[in-house]
Amino acid sequence: MQWMTLLKKELLENWRNKKWIWVPLVIILLSIMDPLTTYFMPQILDSVGGMPEGTVIEMPEFAPAEVVLITLGQLSSLGVLIVVLITMGTITGERKSGVSELVLVKPVSFWNYISAKWVSFLLLVWASLFFGILVHWYYINILFGNLSFTEFLTIFFFFGVWLTFVVSLTIFYSSVVKSTGLVAFFTILTIMAMSLVTEIFQYVLDWSPNNLSDYIFESLVNGEVVSDLWITAGITFGISLLLLVSSVQIFKRKEMVIS
Amino acid sequence: MTLVKVQKLTKTYGKKTVVNGIDIEFGHHKCVALIGPNGAGKTTTLRMLAGLLKPTSGSIYFESQNKTPDIREFIGYLPQYPAFHTWMTGREFLTFSGKLANLSKEEANKRADELLKEVGISREAQDERISRYSGGMKQRLGIAQAIIHKPKLLILDEPVASLDPIGRREVLILMEKLKEEMTILFSTHILNDAEEISDELILLNDGKVIESGKLTELRKKYQTTVIELQVDDDITKYVDRINNLQAVLNTKIERDILYITSDHLNNARKEILNLVLTENWPVTTFSINKASLEDMFMKVVNS
Repeated sequence: MQWMTLLKKELLENWRNKKWIWVPLVIILLSIMDPLTTYFMPQILDSVGGMPEGTVIEMPEFAPAEVVLITLGQLSSLGVLIVVLITMGTITGERKSGVSELVLVKPVSFWNYISAKWVSFLLLVWASLFFGILVHWYYINILFGNLSFTEFLTIFFFFGVWLTFVVSLTIFYSSVVKSTGLVAFFTILTIMAMSLVTEIFQYVLDWSPNNLSDYIFESLVNGEVVSDLWITAGITFGISLLLLVSSVQIFKRKEMVIS
Repeated sequence: MTLVKVQKLTKTYGKKTVVNGIDIEFGHHKCVALIGPNGAGKTTTLRMLAGLLKPTSGSIYFESQNKTPDIREFIGYLPQYPAFHTWMTGREFLTFSGKLANLSKEEANKRADELLKEVGISREAQDERISRYSGGMKQRLGIAQAIIHKPKLLILDEPVASLDPIGRREVLILMEKLKEEMTILFSTHILNDAEEISDELILLNDGKVIESGKLTELRKKYQTTVIELQVDDDITKYVDRINNLQAVLNTKIERDILYITSDHLNNARKEILNLVLTENWPVTTFSINKASLEDMFMKVVNS
């Protein structure tokens, strides 16, 4: 009951501040940019001009899986940044403005308070990703070649797990750190550090969350979901839950007002 | 019967002690004012009572605590600068608060309706975004959200400090009414407000309770009478005659008004009026003022 109240409040808030409109739009834009620009590059170069007369532009042929990988790269940088941006203020902002003082003085359980936020942002991110990948899938099919519905689901689901991790990490820092700016800083720093560590110890860290995109690509090439992808997704989701639980534990021990 | 009992409550931030071992106790249906200068530790004390800050040491006991461990059920709280979800309407925020306090949807809607009427938020404003509310309306909405679950203890931090005289009056009247249903603990540095509606006073300075008790008792304890005398002449000529009187403690002149302090009102009045009549002084004003709470406050804080 109380949890539903909090979830509804979060959903309504993100609806009123138009996040439910612009986030899906931006994700869709990011998802179709690469298929379109890759496909139309010769025409674009041609119409911009500046090429010597008679130049023949030859672009390499891209396989659908390769275009997917490029787009996932785009979503892993700009997409992740957007996810961090929309989530980072959810707790720190309320603490700073003082609204949390009115909310938490009511008999609100901390678990409800934080997990409702977590679920509301996951719903927003997953919905946006669904539409983004759906449109992406459509353009791949008409421009580059066949990509089955199962493959669409594979891309959507497993990349969703990666964004779940990003949301959890952001909420974790939001309940630990005082300022919204620092939340973004620490979250992005952590993701970058993880990617660096994964890169350096790639023979040991087979199942690092950062490998999700690579395994999605591998699965598309192999024509079936590789077992590494399942394990990595499981681990990533496990870490996300762990982050959620520790956010609540840490938040419990903190003072409810900033003074 | 005791509603709240606070013992040796202390809060320190690093080396700074903001609240220093205070003891407070009060019962049901009381209006208790926490008075003190800025920085005395009022807000910190109230926040600890509301469960928003953890005491460094000391204990807070609530009468109903044995039934549920979460004391927040019994407490309504309005901070000094209440911040709302300004994207909600007043009504939405109230139902939201009600449901957080574990009221059912129907109850929350019903209470929100009642309270919007009770605190006087107009029909048009009820369904307007809070971002468009004036300061006074926000304060009244703040009180409404604090009492939506009918708490036993209502804690108000400087409830009238930021309001204009009309808003202030409205809130004081509202508090007067609420007193019948619950205990109100409020902080203020405006002594008139405390004087007007509180039954008990707690004077706080430097994180310590320096005086507390019923208003009438405190008055008696610190009361001195000040007699104001004005004459249609140079007042300095009469000062020595007054000073020689037995019942007069001391005198001071400010802007041609002679203030005479005495701890024995009847005698002082008799002696002065006697002098005035026999010597035929050109008196324009003779008035007796009871020491205000402010004088008392200054006296206690400075002693």
